[in-house]
Amino acid sequence: MGSNEYSKSLHVLGSSHHIADLAVREKISLPQDKIDEFYSGLSALPGLEECLLLNTCNRTEIYGASSNGFSPDLLHKYLSDFREIDPDFLSKHSYRHSGEKVVRHLFEVTSGIDSQMVGETEILGQVKKAYEDACDRNVSGKMLNRLFQKGFQAAKWARTNTGISKGQVNLGNVLCELARRIFGKVSNSRLLVIGAGEVAESAMEAFRSRGSQAITVTGRTFDWCPLSRRKPDELAEKFGGFALSFSKYQESLHHFDVILTSTASGRSLISASAVRLAMKKRPSKPLFLIDASVPRNIDESVAKVDNVFLYNMDDVSLIANENLKSRMAEVERCRNVLSKKAVRIWEQMTHHAIPSTSVSQSTASSS
Amino acid sequence: MNFNEARDLLWIASIFYVFAVGFGFASTFFSKNSFCKQATLLAIVFGFFLQTRGLYLRGLEISGCPLGNNLERIQFITWSLILTFLILRLLWKLNLLGSLCSGMAGVFGIISLINGQWDHPYWMESTYQRLFSDPWIELHASIAIFSYGIFALLAIVSGMYLIQRKSLLSKKSGIWGTFLPPIHDLDHSAFRLLLVGTLFLTLSIVVGGMHWVHHPEYVTSFKLFITLLLWAGYCILFFLRYSNRLFGSKFAKSAISLFIVAIVSMGFVNSKDRNANISSIPVQPRNGQ
Repeated sequence: MGSNEYSKSLHVLGSSHHIADLAVREKISLPQDKIDEFYSGLSALPGLEECLLLNTCNRTEIYGASSNGFSPDLLHKYLSDFREIDPDFLSKHSYRHSGEKVVRHLFEVTSGIDSQMVGETEILGQVKKAYEDACDRNVSGKMLNRLFQKGFQAAKWARTNTGISKGQVNLGNVLCELARRIFGKVSNSRLLVIGAGEVAESAMEAFRSRGSQAITVTGRTFDWCPLSRRKPDELAEKFGGFALSFSKYQESLHHFDVILTSTASGRSLISASAVRLAMKKRPSKPLFLIDASVPRNIDESVAKVDNVFLYNMDDVSLIANENLKSRMAEVERCRNVLSKKAVRIWEQMTHHAIPSTSVSQSTASSS
Repeated sequence: MNFNEARDLLWIASIFYVFAVGFGFASTFFSKNSFCKQATLLAIVFGFFLQTRGLYLRGLEISGCPLGNNLERIQFITWSLILTFLILRLLWKLNLLGSLCSGMAGVFGIISLINGQWDHPYWMESTYQRLFSDPWIELHASIAIFSYGIFALLAIVSGMYLIQRKSLLSKKSGIWGTFLPPIHDLDHSAFRLLLVGTLFLTLSIVVGGMHWVHHPEYVTSFKLFITLLLWAGYCILFFLRYSNRLFGSKFAKSAISLFIVAIVSMGFVNSKDRNANISSIPVQPRNGQ
């Protein structure tokens, strides 16, 4: 750690979904069992006093704080050597920032506006985890500590004061949000999944993560589901649910609050008369039906039954897209404010003492 | 501005309620700033305090519960509405409901204050006698008006139900749908409000009925008919909902319709039998009071 804080600067070298597709990211990303080795070599780089590695499925980023004179090229060389990839290939699929732009970049990452799914909150947890890891290894010092603490604050500000996280964009989460608007707590609503397609899995995951204890799965065959290549009973087991015999689900409809069909069957599995019969047994309690199958499995006239809400995949996708659009509209506003915050924080970090070292160098041709 | 003048206080209270709507909608739809949320509740509480004082001062002027003209009745109903909301607010965080309640209180309050004829100074007339000579009739009137406040809240909750339902059926994310409570909860709340409101109305009719048995000349047949019709309407609505024969949107629409009937009937029903000896008649408020 250098004694003179004023002469320090920040650097970041990274690759993300913006600049590299999945295959490229796989080459650059660091395997979990190599992290220790990577850190020991990284912290030994001459002039680099603090460092932190953020390694997720969508981005690999190395943050560093250094004394004046440190060349960010060293980070580039170290990563290309470590991953045994061509330096030019890495240059093409990576970006580099220094000084204030590192602060701005981190703010955009933690707030979720740099994420593939704009406004998602998972990234904040991943950054926190990476920061804790760096602290445990004693490779993060005053500069990076301050930078990341401010990054967490910026993320909180962005989520509280802008609409970047407003509305759900994941199909499973959209279904949960709709269920919440009908039943209140999702954890109290009973979910029946007919079939075991990808949407069904996504919905079950979303319901499960919100504490739903009553998930039931049924399928035409318990041997194999052509959509997900999973057995319904396996799916039930995975999400701590129950498997129901396919011959029983028609007479059990009234027990469930949310029913999702996701099968490859070409015929109607839930008729209007079956729903009317079910609603007679639960007249004042609403029923939420989601038809995620193509061709559809739920009779369209079911929507006319009082207290029944029928959605198909087009409806759910439309809501997800609307939410995404409204998030995108907020991104620019959020970015502008975060940029101003970054300038202020950078000035505080450098005590107005060092001349701007905000040299941003994006080695990617278009980024 | 005179803080010892009932009308001035009621004006300020209405303006506070309007401010509460502004702050409430701002905090719900535009900003998550906690100041707006706090300001909403504070404006409602201040408005309620001023309205209470205004009604208290008017009560002192007329030496009884202020239910002698349209302004007083409307103010008493909105006061009951806000009181019910504040009691519910102690149990649940109901920010949007607060905005809608204060909206109704503000709009109705201002309408009643703007219309000068609705605040006829009956207590200044030489023939004026104490509004309620019998405390039981005063109790009957105040309970009935309080039940109207609960029915007003029921109408607001039913309106919220219909908006949420429409938003869900339109299959769009919609700005309202996200912030309104779930329809299942709204349906339950409406049922409970109907139960409590019907109990209060029944109690007021029992109290009023006990007085009416001894002095039938005090109540016009029309008032009696309308009052019992309204009471029967709410009782039927309750039993239909209780037996699950009426629920969902039809129940919500019925609750709103009944409240409109209740409010409209107030303007047409006069409790005072004009043929009775005026000097011996305690002037009663109208319709179910």
